[in-house]
Order: sequence, then C-alpha cells, then structure tokens
Amino acid sequence: MNHVRALLGLFAAFALAFVLAMALALTGATSAQAHRLKLFVSVDGMTVSGYAFFIGGGRPQDVDFVVKDAAGAPVHRGRTDEKGAFAWTAAAPADYTLSLDTGDGHFADEKIPADRFSLTAPAIAAAVQAPAETPPAADSPASTAAPSPATIDPETLTRLVEAAAERAVARQLRPLIEAQNLAEARLRFNDIMGGVGMIVGLAGLAAWAMSRRRRSGGGP
Amino acid sequence: MPVIAGGAAVAAAGIAIGLKALDEREIPKTAILAATFFVVSLFAVPIGPSSVHLLLGGLVGLFLGVGAFPAIFVGLLLQAVMFGFGGLTSLGVDTVNMALPGVALAALARPLMARTAPATRGLIGATVAALAVLGTAGGVTLALALSSADYVPALKIVALTYVPLAAVEAVITGFAIAFLARVKPEILPWPKEARP
Repeated sequence: MNHVRALLGLFAAFALAFVLAMALALTGATSAQAHRLKLFVSVDGMTVSGYAFFIGGGRPQDVDFVVKDAAGAPVHRGRTDEKGAFAWTAAAPADYTLSLDTGDGHFADEKIPADRFSLTAPAIAAAVQAPAETPPAADSPASTAAPSPATIDPETLTRLVEAAAERAVARQLRPLIEAQNLAEARLRFNDIMGGVGMIVGLAGLAAWAMSRRRRSGGGP
Repeated sequence: MPVIAGGAAVAAAGIAIGLKALDEREIPKTAILAATFFVVSLFAVPIGPSSVHLLLGGLVGLFLGVGAFPAIFVGLLLQAVMFGFGGLTSLGVDTVNMALPGVALAALARPLMARTAPATRGLIGATVAALAVLGTAGGVTLALALSSADYVPALKIVALTYVPLAAVEAVITGFAIAFLARVKPEILPWPKEARP
C-alpha cells in the first residue's frame, strides 16, 4: 500500500509540472515552443536572402552558412549576422541548396530551385530605363513615363512585365509564407497530449505483459 | 557513420539493461518520468546565440537508475516521430548523451545521499543535475568532434548555452529531490539499509 501512496504523491508532483508546462505551451507560445532550426528563404531577382530561426524563438547568430550547387560543390560561404540573417547574390540561375549549421548539432537546409530566380530582370530594367531617364523634361509627365512601346521590342516588354509581376507577387507573398512557416513549426497541444497518451499506453502494455508472465509463471 | 552505430549499440545495451531491471511496480514511475521528459524537453528558450531546452538527465537518472535509458529513449522516439526533432538516425547517440551522464552520476551519488539529511540530498541532487547537463554537453561535443573536425570551433556556443542550462536544472532537481526526500523518501531508490 505504501508504494501506491508514494506513486500518488509522485504523480501529484509531476501533474503540477505538467500543468506548468501546458500553461507555458498555451500562453507563452511565442517565447517558448520547441527546439529545432528552420530556414526562411526568399529570392528577389538574383539575390537570396532570409534568416534562420529556432522554433520557439531565438536566431542563430554568427554561424556558418554554405550555398552548394546541384553537384554539391560549395559556391559561397558566409556567416549570419546578429539577427540570424543571410544574403547572397547568385551569378546565374541554377538549383542551389543553402544549408546552415550552428555547430552544436542543429542544422537545416533548403533547396532553391532555378525557377525561383527571375532571370535578368534588373538587367532588363536598367537597359530599358536608362534611355527613358535621359530626357531632362521633368515638367511634362508624358516624357518621364515609361518608354513608349514603340521603342521596346515586344519580347523585352513581355519579359519586363513578367519580371515586374513576379517581383510584386513575391513581395506580397513574403509575409504570408513567413507566417505559414512559423505556424507550421508551432507545437500543437493535441500532438503533445498524443505523445503523453502513447507513453501511458506503453506503460499499460508493459504492466499487462508482466502480469501475464507472472501468472503463467505458476503464481496464484 | 561509426559514431551513430556506436551510439545506437550503447543505447540498445542501456535500454536492454534498463528493461530487464524494470520492476512492475516501477512502471508507472518510469512512464511518468518519460512523459515529463517528453513534454519538458519540447519547450526551448532562446539563450545567447542559440536556444536550449531542459534535459532532466540528472533528475531522471536519480529517480530511475538504469531505467532512465528506456524512459529517455521513448521520449526521444516520440519527439522524432511526431515533431521531427532530433531525427531517427541520431536517436541512439542522443539517448546515450542524455541518459548516460545522469545514470552514471546518480549511481555515484545514491550511496552518498542515503546517508545524509534531506536538505543535503537536495544539494547533492542539484550537483548531479548540473554535472549531468555538462556531461551531456561533453557527449554532444565529443560526438560532433568525432563526426567531423569542422565542428570543433563551435565548442564556444555549446559552452555558452549549456552552462546556464546546468544552473537551471540544478535548481529544479535540487528542489524536487529535497522536497521528495522529506515528504516521500520511499520514492527515491536509495539502498534500504542505509536509510536514516
């Protein structure tokens, strides 16, 4: 009987710990969640930028990141800044993998496929806008507007519009993707309780197996 | 990788010994501690350049002895399967790193604790917890260093994050042990004859 009471006491003590942990899970969701490194990567033109974050808060500062090409050869090495951010400008669109390793056993990587780079958008824009800005007539709105379609061939225009649209969409989507990344990384109360239930079930299984063994062992 | 294979072998041995030593009366206690470990180590707090979570290796080792191996293994397995933390390949190494320091230190501390007053036991428990965290840090560092020499410069980060963690765990374990030693001393598996 004594050990039953002891176990009840122990259970009470840990029930308290559980309640505290759950309170932490539900209220302090932004300050304390889980321990895992994730990456948020966005591509603007040819520039890859983003940051690494631990689920639950905190960003790895001053750690190495490596960009590798499709063959696995390192293309660029750098370090994250004090906000865990990184940036790198690719020379040409290709499939890259950005990986980050904090050195204490946490690492994450993300593939950046070639189609996330918008070809030579800034280059096209620069090439087309340069002649448009040369006329100094500032008071006439017509002359400072985009170059008349007649001066650009239709193919360049299409690419220019496509690049502009892509960048605008990317800019609008960035906060959404960021929020989605964070939401996906959140620990859910149901999952945690599922794990606890699994452990309770395992204990029951073990107790059952042992009681069977004892009974078949010739006990009363 | 030899590190992963070695870790898995040691973990398997520890789990086998732990299960063999598992008395049926110990099952609920083991399960409660496994569940506590599972929940508590899910929550991480950012510290300095990284982020850490409680390990409770010392506490689990003091309560369960070798039974800490199966308890911690189950907790880690569920974390890996349900949340993708840690990963399945490194499960063995992680189990050893978290369970072994606690089990070894608790085995050393038990005879000592059996002969002392509850408050002193709390102090010894706190020391065990702090040293277990540092043991885990050492194990992690060793495993990383053996896997690849690139990791050696990152020792600084490990030291920075594990030292405050050791202090926090010392406080938690110290109070838990001091409290239970006073209120329910029979929970703690001391050698019976030595109990004052």
